[in-house]
Amino acid sequence: MSHSQRSDIFLLDAERTTWHDETLWFVRQKRDKAVYATPEFQELRQLASDIKDHTLSRLNFYLQQFEENARRNGVQVHWAADAAEHNAIVLGLLRQHGATRVVKSKSMLTEECHLNPYLTQHGIEVIDTDLGERIIQLREEAPSHVVLPAIHLKKEDVGDTFHLHLGTTKGNNDPQQLTETARQHLREKFLAGQVAISGVNFAVAETGSVVVCTNEGNADLGVNLAKVHIACMGMEKLIPRLSDLSVFTRILTRSATGQPVTTYTSHFTRPGEGKEMHIVIVDNGRTKQLGRPDFRASLKCIRCGACMNTCPVYRRSGGHSYDFTIPGPIGAILSPNIDMRKHASLPFASTLCGSCTDVCPVKIDIHTQLYKWRQVLGQAGEIPASKKWSMRLLSRVLSKPGMYSLGGRVARQGLRLLPHGLTHAGGYNPWAIARELPEPPRQSFREWYAEQAGQ
Amino acid sequence: MTSSREKILAAVRANQPAELPLPTVPLFEGDDSVEKFTAILQGIGGQVVEVTDVARLPEVIHGLYPTDYRIASPLLPEANVPVDANTSIEVLAGVELAVLQGEFGVVENGTIWVPEANMLHRALPMITQHLALVLDRRHLVATMHQAYARLTSVGSYGTFLAGPSKTADIEQSLVIGAHGARSMTVLLV
Repeated sequence: MSHSQRSDIFLLDAERTTWHDETLWFVRQKRDKAVYATPEFQELRQLASDIKDHTLSRLNFYLQQFEENARRNGVQVHWAADAAEHNAIVLGLLRQHGATRVVKSKSMLTEECHLNPYLTQHGIEVIDTDLGERIIQLREEAPSHVVLPAIHLKKEDVGDTFHLHLGTTKGNNDPQQLTETARQHLREKFLAGQVAISGVNFAVAETGSVVVCTNEGNADLGVNLAKVHIACMGMEKLIPRLSDLSVFTRILTRSATGQPVTTYTSHFTRPGEGKEMHIVIVDNGRTKQLGRPDFRASLKCIRCGACMNTCPVYRRSGGHSYDFTIPGPIGAILSPNIDMRKHASLPFASTLCGSCTDVCPVKIDIHTQLYKWRQVLGQAGEIPASKKWSMRLLSRVLSKPGMYSLGGRVARQGLRLLPHGLTHAGGYNPWAIARELPEPPRQSFREWYAEQAGQ
Repeated sequence: MTSSREKILAAVRANQPAELPLPTVPLFEGDDSVEKFTAILQGIGGQVVEVTDVARLPEVIHGLYPTDYRIASPLLPEANVPVDANTSIEVLAGVELAVLQGEFGVVENGTIWVPEANMLHRALPMITQHLALVLDRRHLVATMHQAYARLTSVGSYGTFLAGPSKTADIEQSLVIGAHGARSMTVLLV
């Protein structure tokens, strides 16, 4: 199924689509308010972009510096070439500690590696502790947004889910009460946690620390109560210096939700007394992306989700329509690197309006990359036949002025004379499924111009 | 495992572009007033209480919280739950109020630096039902740049804490008290 086919499913519920669209636009507006209140925001974007560009250009050095410092801090560092190796490392650590359950805070990387189903298959109980992630875990769904994983759901859905799994009263859809129920339910899990898995927002090379940002406090609570902490990170999370965090902590949440900062910005450098800390550094296609000059800037992404909130296509098609761990514009440029054929429709899920590029806090040229992926996909023959042939036809017509002018005349007459049912037949004119074609003008601009010249 | 490390690093070496410059981050200045700090912190759900004299701290705490609360604190003689790095999870789970020292506050976002040394136990600031941080009003910096400039080391563990634990994961409705402290009060001395 293509992105547009999956979007059709989302669009069946018009009311919900409108709600989704408006809610995410509201988040975008909150972002704007926070950004405009920060006078040096544009300077910070440039700094963030430059720091990330520099880090990627010396990634070999920073990875080793980070590893060396982390080891010196008493942290065990593991390297995983792909998702399978990452999952095997995590399972190995759990087995080593005889753990049967694990509490987990938000990590898009573990989603990308499909860690949860893998651990479950191997008899480990995995508890996602971020409220949004817990909701979708109970519903056996994937997150639909990187920051707001359950944004595709309404409170009634959550009420039903909690009634089914956590025994709340049927019809209790009050967010306050549902959150309280989740707090009680997850507290038990935190207290009984043996091993905690967290994601990583930033990894500081000069200190060997990992920084984790949450609003709920679930990462800190899980990690600080468990005997073992496993932090899983993509290799692009590195930044060189502690002081670079000042730039990234200022732009991350302002871009994401419009908050000035997350409630908890936690720096994990050494394991607690008598405890263990592990960091798994994952490649899984990132070195390949690093080697693509047109697309390597996508590795600068800090997963704020601003490009999703602003995207007119994402807002009206939902995160699940992308069928990739990272949805939205950034997902559409990351996914073809992983599997070009499977995700061939995603770079086309855009109007190329450029709003994603405008809001990106690390200045990734997202819409340019979307355009470039289209070229790559075209070259590789990964676009649908209908699109391929109509594009060929169009390019022939547009390159021959005589044919273009004839075509225009035929179209103007045709639209006037042919029955509506034929000109608007969805079968060969899908553009007209939900739209009216414009009324054809009497003459073309060229014809009009020729007339003026004669006067 | 070593082979993956070598393989990844070799691929990075082969694929990373020519070196680009690392910029110097300026120490952006800004408003470092108590007024702005208070307004920002209240905006994110925190409470600010002015304590004129450190000696009045116990009295202020009694005025703010029920007197039968189980309190953990290195700052109050009346703290009745002793906590250190080895305290059991069961005991930690029963703490209703933790009163801890904050090192310094950041005015632009209302956050306060709390290093492990001030926490008694790493989980205490999150597992307690309510959190109060004592902060010297002279220890305010304007921006995160000045905050990190002030931190010569982040220690083994430390967190910038801004307000109570919260979530908006159900239909974007803001709910205070997700997994961490249900309320966060800054006691300015």
